[in-house]
Amino acid sequence: MRLTQILSVIGKYSKDYSNLPDRYIKRAMEQVYWKNPTGVQYRPDTEIKRKTYRFTTNRPWTAQFRQQNLPGRRTKKVFVEPIKDWSYFRGDRVEVLVGRDKGKQGFVKQIIQERNWVIVEGLNCHYRVVGRDQNYPGMVIKSEAPLLVTNQVALVDPSDFKSTPIEWRFTEDGQKVRVSSRTGRIIPIPASAEETVDYKSKKTYNEQPKDTLADDVIAITFSPKLETFEMSIMESMGIKEDRVPPKSYWY
Amino acid sequence: MKAFHIIKEHIILPRRSISVTAQRNDLMEFFDDKNNWGVQEVKTGRSWKVEELRLKSNSDLHKLWYILLKEKNMLLTMEHECNEKMIIFPSPERIDKVEESMENLEAVVRERNKAYHLLETGENGERPEKITNNAFGLQHVYKESEYAIIPKHMNEEWLRKDSYRASGKDLRDFLLKYKEKVFVENKKKKQRDFNHVCGLLKRFPNMDMEALKEQYPDVDIEKAKNSKRSRGHFVPA
Repeated sequence: MRLTQILSVIGKYSKDYSNLPDRYIKRAMEQVYWKNPTGVQYRPDTEIKRKTYRFTTNRPWTAQFRQQNLPGRRTKKVFVEPIKDWSYFRGDRVEVLVGRDKGKQGFVKQIIQERNWVIVEGLNCHYRVVGRDQNYPGMVIKSEAPLLVTNQVALVDPSDFKSTPIEWRFTEDGQKVRVSSRTGRIIPIPASAEETVDYKSKKTYNEQPKDTLADDVIAITFSPKLETFEMSIMESMGIKEDRVPPKSYWY
Repeated sequence: MKAFHIIKEHIILPRRSISVTAQRNDLMEFFDDKNNWGVQEVKTGRSWKVEELRLKSNSDLHKLWYILLKEKNMLLTMEHECNEKMIIFPSPERIDKVEESMENLEAVVRERNKAYHLLETGENGERPEKITNNAFGLQHVYKESEYAIIPKHMNEEWLRKDSYRASGKDLRDFLLKYKEKVFVENKKKKQRDFNHVCGLLKRFPNMDMEALKEQYPDVDIEKAKNSKRSRGHFVPA
């Protein structure tokens, strides 16, 4: 229950790419300052912890995120527009509607759902000078700034490569698809939406030394029998138990 | 020496459908493979899902449990050692993956045992629990324990420990204030949500109202729209 509380603020699509278990994300970002000691308490499991975080392009499980959300640091509240269905995925071709790259098209590189942001590869960039001092002019680093999905980018219709508003509709097979409102053409979700840091697609995943092989995972070795787990293990190990436990009381 | 070889050849190893680490049987089993020492990350797959574990026989689950337990021991040792040596423990999410698998495995074992007990006895065979009032007069889940020999009415120590129940004016005062606190907390949350919706309406007057309703089901949006707080810095048309 508490796992969902902290994770409900992190969007599904912004953590999919990292391929990390939710448990770890929670453990990495959580800041508990005080916990109720165990024992008889009038309010058990009470915690004093950070409730609001500032989400930026730094991912919640990184050290940079922790640095930005140091204990005790309070930042101005950010208002994020509620969205019904998330419609932007990794690898989508989008058109930038604002800024110096207005009208240009690019591909979505990263999704930051908790701020309604996407990062478009090579567009809406800014330059930062790093390591400048008296003797050294510094190094210029180019990096993309995030764009709001609500009014700063638009999906591109694959039939005429022009930006279009979209809506979610169902096909006759019952599949939910994005449809261009202008031409009625389906905008397919790109294959790279499935990509994570560990694999490009599930089929091309490279097995690691400690992984169980896929065939072994799906092999059925269970056959139902009227016995408990303990009974079946005792039988397979040849342990015989004929002692009768004395009467006990539960209260 | 020859006899030893003969014994070794005749050992029938059980056929495993689950991958296992090389057997070393020494203290180094508590440590990771030397190739993984001091690296940036160690790549691993995901944890076992409940639906996959349901396919496995009891003895497979039993073996897998100990594989996972050994892996967890190894990871916790490595984490401790890395902290001692002031180096970064690579891929700490491995611990969570193993623990998640162990939780799922236990869930499957419980499921099977519950099914057996329900069929045979009509009870689920789990540790009994009941909802009672605690010493502060608040509801809580009491997990029962097993006692050999003595029944409840004869167990003086247990009765003495359980005997305290707040009552009378103290309890009434406490509960009144406790309920007031809960009420005020809920009221504040409601007001906070309302103010937040007003702030959203002010900033995004053209937003999707259905999405807003979905996110804040308890807020009266029509009321929020008419609120002074949701008026933007523009002349209304």
